[in-house]
Order: sequence, then structure tokens, then C-alpha cells
Amino acid sequence: MQFKGTKNFSGQEMETAIARTGGYSNAFTSPDWTAYFQTIPSNALETALRFEADRMVNSLYDPEEVETERTVILSEREGNENDPQFLLGELVENASFEKHPYRNEVLGSTEDLLNLTRDDLYGHYRNYYQPNNAHLCLAGAFEIDEALELIKKAFEPIKSHEVIYSIPEPEAQIAKSQKVEIYGAEENNYLQFSWRSPKASDPDFFAFSLLESILSGPSSLNMFGSGGIGNRGSRLYRELVENQLVATVNGSLTATIDPGTYTVYVTCRDDHSPEEVIEALDRLIAEFLSKEVSLEEHSIALKQARANFAYSIDNITNQGYWLGYAQTFADYAWFTEYVERLEKVSRTDILRVARQYLDPAHRITGIYRNRNNGQNG
Amino acid sequence: MVKMDNLNTNSLPGADTIFRKTFANGSTFLAYPNPTSPAVFFRGLLPVGALSNPTGKSGLANLLAAMLSTGTLQHNFQELNNLIESCGASISFSGGSLATLFSGQCLKEDLPLILGLLLEMLSQPAFPQAHLERLKQQLSVIFKMQAQSTEEMAAQAFDLIYYRGHPYAIPELGLPETVSSISLDDLQDFHRSYFGPRGMIFTISGGMDSEKTAELFNQIFSSWEKPNQAKQIALPEWQPHQQAMREHISIPEKSQSNLIVGTNGPNGLSPDLHTNSLGDNILGRFGMMGRIGEAVRERSGLAYYASSSLEAGLGPSTWKVYAGVNPNNLDKAIDKIIDELKRFTNEPVSREELDDVKSQTIGQIPLSLESNAGLASFLLGLQRYNRDLNYLRNLPGTIEKITAQMILEEAQNYWRLDQLVITSAGSTK
Repeated sequence: MQFKGTKNFSGQEMETAIARTGGYSNAFTSPDWTAYFQTIPSNALETALRFEADRMVNSLYDPEEVETERTVILSEREGNENDPQFLLGELVENASFEKHPYRNEVLGSTEDLLNLTRDDLYGHYRNYYQPNNAHLCLAGAFEIDEALELIKKAFEPIKSHEVIYSIPEPEAQIAKSQKVEIYGAEENNYLQFSWRSPKASDPDFFAFSLLESILSGPSSLNMFGSGGIGNRGSRLYRELVENQLVATVNGSLTATIDPGTYTVYVTCRDDHSPEEVIEALDRLIAEFLSKEVSLEEHSIALKQARANFAYSIDNITNQGYWLGYAQTFADYAWFTEYVERLEKVSRTDILRVARQYLDPAHRITGIYRNRNNGQNG
Repeated sequence: MVKMDNLNTNSLPGADTIFRKTFANGSTFLAYPNPTSPAVFFRGLLPVGALSNPTGKSGLANLLAAMLSTGTLQHNFQELNNLIESCGASISFSGGSLATLFSGQCLKEDLPLILGLLLEMLSQPAFPQAHLERLKQQLSVIFKMQAQSTEEMAAQAFDLIYYRGHPYAIPELGLPETVSSISLDDLQDFHRSYFGPRGMIFTISGGMDSEKTAELFNQIFSSWEKPNQAKQIALPEWQPHQQAMREHISIPEKSQSNLIVGTNGPNGLSPDLHTNSLGDNILGRFGMMGRIGEAVRERSGLAYYASSSLEAGLGPSTWKVYAGVNPNNLDKAIDKIIDELKRFTNEPVSREELDDVKSQTIGQIPLSLESNAGLASFLLGLQRYNRDLNYLRNLPGTIEKITAQMILEEAQNYWRLDQLVITSAGSTK
């Protein structure tokens, strides 16, 4: 609804003005924050700031537009539901938290999307969209003083009101081990394993990042642009893919304000059942928790982090993204000093953090089975 | 509006800043430096792809590309991948219709190692039997995923009926029955015949020096010679279809259906490419997916996405409209799309629309080069489509000359509304 127009500009006017510069604008939502971004030629900065400032306070939420957008978002959800891994992921996240809102799919449930009113949306907007509840990040070709003047001109007239926060209680641990299952028409079986991960501002998050790199391969730091490193050297790949138990395996660790989840995703082969894969993963995790990672693994993980960081700054949009993202849970130095902070993590730290978080007694195991043959693999 | 006067075209990559050299073994090297970057990004290709697959062996070129990462005569799978990943680098391959493509990145200090490994992988793959079986297993998983993907099935159905009788009708990945029949001998024969340095393109951008890297590239790759390297099989003659066709693939239990409405399109070498690109932008890309997005998504709320795409390759090419819709809305979405196609082929685009997309196209030029990875891809396109090194600098002038009448004539030339190919996949309501 934030792209549907304000009292000063129609949605199309804003969209067209940015597109005409050759730039693009969009928004995305994480469990913790919503980000609006524009990538534009440097001489279009003033226009971009004017639109963002206007969007912060003057959006209309026209009731008719709400109804059109409701069907568009329901359609987005329907597209996602076509993917069995989306359905499984929703189930696993839901089981990974008892009450914390991280348990809810960001896109919303079909039921909620059908029932949300225009006033629900507008109330959320008026409460949270305030300068004192926002970070503005710029990266690229500009003079800092000139840019600051433009920012002041656009945003200073906006008065901040008190924001009423709904602060959830962090859940430091998954309460108990649970298996959740879903059945469907796709012939492949899928598995997802979810463990609690430290919040991003926790110093242990950096040890967890190296742990992830060694166990399932390093997560790319690129939201925009290309660049990632393979995971064929990771322990999970070697144990599960090379031993021909599964077709693919990878992991994902996300930086979040509260403790979140570290998730491992598996696509099964048809000659091994999900249970065989779970058994193999249990053995591998037990082995991982039994001793420190090798010096070689530790040093490879650090080198990979250095490379990933270099790839992440290759793209200017990505630089802006990370400055803003890091600011939501810590400060921008979290990103700029990322490599230095990882270099301080010892092998003992990695083992300690692994033992704390990868406890099988506090893990969610999600299984998507083919309705007809999933029981037998 | 972004005008040529606002864009300093001399600051764009051009003949004086792009380094290009063709070496004695027939490979061509292009580079564009960015001294502040700690990393380098490369792209490239060998001119052989699915078109040269032997009869009954579709999927071979793609499978071969995947096998290149499974070990060389010097390094087995684990050694090879440890060498690449332990320095945080990547090298990946994919098999296209006309080329085997590769891409990668590494910290600049690791470039000599990575170039050496790239040569090994391209010229001396070991083709281990165990990995062939493993990749076939992985492909069988992918085939099952695809069979349940409404997007993939609609696309495959389109190619199958649109390109009937042409190699493009068959997916580059192959078919389950053809992939299972591919042997090590097939892979080795194909590699022995077609893989060589002649026609190879290698492009690179990032924190390296162009000339020194060209020397390094030559030092490493000059050892690769193949006097008897076979030429890619020529694209067969093909005439675009001349009748309307409609196909729906039923996939039960799907919340969304995917739809493609398409026709013949200009290829990447066509002189009218930019005219049609501007037209396509107005039809289904500008802003929130152009006229199509406005009609299908914004005004009707029928789809999360509805856009158009000009898919201009080196051979026969297509121009398509894509949409993802609720199965109940499929027919309504088709009607809306056809209404927009009628408008597009019956009346010239407005002056305002034309100004918008010209301004956007010119403004996008510097933004498309914001990353070194993007620059390396740009260099690859430059060489592959045989474009002048000053292509980007000349582009604004070419764009400025395009008129609404030219767009209308081209639209009428390509979009024959009585000959549309329409495919969809999803639950049948």
C-alpha cells in the first residue's frame, strides 16, 4: 500500500519519476523490519528523498486500493504455496517459537490476509512510520555535506510521535524437540532442521557464523548482486551428498534482533528415506559436538568470510542494504568490522557455541513427504 | 528526463578503457579494471551447447557442464572443490543451447590459482563414473521438482509447441529418458570433439590490471591447443509457426497457475532490437510492469506478477508475456493481456510513454554497471553479439532516434494476434 500513492503524489507518479531516471525502487519486509530502497543516478537523490519522506507520513491507504492489493498479495501467497518447501518452512518456523512473532510467515496467513482491514493497515502505518523509528542509509557517489542538507530538507519537517512498540519476549531456546510433517503431491521428500541461533548483536553470533560455514557452507552476504561460495567442502555436504544419501543440502543463518533460527534444508533422493537422513545428520552433529574443529577448517572459514565480504561490497545497492540492516540490530560497524570480529573467534568458541545451540533435544525436524511413497522413501 | 547531455558518455566503458585481445589459440580476452575492488569477477563461454547434442542424448551438454566440477586429471572432486572453496572462490558452469557458460569470482590474490583450475576443468576433466551416477540421481530429483512446478511446465509446454521440429523445443536439461541413457563415452566423445580454446570468450572485471591479467591468462591458457576442434552444429532453418496454439498442463493441488502468451521475437543481432526493447518496456516492464502490469495487476488485482519479456538470443527468439494467477482468473487474465496486445499493435505508443522509456533506458546505462560482476557480464555480451567496444557510448544516440511509429510497425511485425501461442500450467478449475 506504500506504493499506491500519497496526498501529494499518485503511486504511478512516483514509480514513473524514479523509472525515468533509469533507477528502481522497491521494498521488502523481514520479521524485524521493513525496508524501502531506491537505486538511482546520483543527480536524482533529491527526488528520491522527497518521495521517501512523503511516503513516511502521507500515504493514503485508499479503501478500494486495499481491496485490489489484497488479491495481489493473496496471489503472491498462492504462488509461494505452489512450492512444497515454502509450506514446510512455514510449518517449521511456526514450531520453532512458542509465542514470538518469528513463528509467523512474513507474508501473512491466508486467513489474516482475508481479514485485515484498511484501518488495521493504516493504524500500523501511522504508529511505526516515524523518523524516530527509521534509519536512512546512503551508499554511492555523493558528497556527505550536500547529501545531509538534502536529507534535512526532506525529513526535518516531519514531526515524530511516540511509537507504541509491541516488544515480544525473546525465546532463547526451542522448548523441546519436535517433528512436524506435511504430505503433498510432489514426488520428492524434503527435510528442514531448525535450531535456535543467537541474536545478531550477541558476540556468539560471529562464532555461529563460522560454525555455519564449516557445517553447511557460508551464507552469502549478498541481498543484491551475484556472488556466493559453494558448500562442497562443508561437513554436511561431504556426509550427506557425497555419501549419496541426499540430492542437496544447504544451511541458512539470518541476523535477527532476537534469537532466531539456523536452518538446514535437504532435498532427499528417492533411494533413501527421510528417517535414514535424520539418522545420518544426528550422527554428524554428535561428532561435530565431540571435539574442536580443525585448524584448517577454522582458517578456511575465515578466508571464506573475507571473500564473502569482498563480494558483498561489489554492489553499491548491497552496501546500502547492509548499513541499514546492521543498524536495526546493532550498528553499521557490525557490518564494516564483520571480518575483524570473525577473526577474533577461536576454535574453542565455535565448539562452545555449537554445544549450546545444536542440542538435538531442542531442534525442530520438518518432513515433507510424498503422499504416496514418502513413508518408504 | 535523462538526456544524452546529462550523461557523460565518455565515462562509460569504451574502446579506450576496455582491454580486448584475441590470442593465437583462438580465445578472446576482455577486461575492465576497477582498482578499488579487492575481488575479481569473471564470465565466459565455449561456443558449444545443447545444439550439438547427439540424437537421443538431449541433456548431454548440460550434464557435461555439471561434470566439469567433479574432478580433473590432476585433482579429484574433493581436492578440486577444496582448492576453490578454501580461498572463498567459486567457479561454476552451465550448459546453454549454443554455449557452455562459466562464471566465477575470487579475491584478486587468488586469480592465478583460479585461472589454472579453470583451465584444468575445461580441458582435462576426469569424468568420474561415480559422479556421473550421482549427477543423474540429482537430475532425476530436479525432473520431479519440475514436473510439479507450474512455472517450469508452462515454459516447457511453450517451447515444445512453439519450437516444434527445432532443437529449442527440447529443454537444455534434457528429458528423464535421454539423460539416463548418457554414458561416460558420450561425454568424453563430446568433450574430445567440441571443447577447445577456439571461440572461447573470457571476460573479467575488478581489482586487477587488464594487461597483466591478459598476460597471465595467455600464460595459462596458451598451453591449450586443439587444431581439430569441431565447430558447433549450425542452427537449422526454422520458420516461426503461423497458427494460434493453446495448451494447458494440469497439475493438481496448485494454488497458482502460470501463464505464458508469446510470439516470435527479434534476436540479439537484429537491427530492430532496440526499437522492440523500448516497445517491450512500454508493454510490460516500465514502472510496475508496464501496460500489462497496470491492466492485470494494478487495476484488476488478478496477479502478483504480469509482465513482458523480449528473449533475444543468437538464434530464433521469442517475445512473451508472463503472469502468475489464481486458477479461477486464468481466462480473465488472458483476455486482459490480449486486450493490451491489441492496443499495442493498433495504435502508436504515446509521446509520454516513449519519453519515459527512452529516459529510463539511457539512465539505466551507468546503473547497470554498478558492480564488477555486471561489468564482466556486459563484456561477455559485447563480444558474443559482436558489438563495437563503444557500444554503450553510442547507445543513447541510437535510442534517441526511435519513434512511436517505428515501435508500432515492429509490434505489428511480431505480434500476430491470430497466431499467439498460449500455454499455462496449474490446477484445472
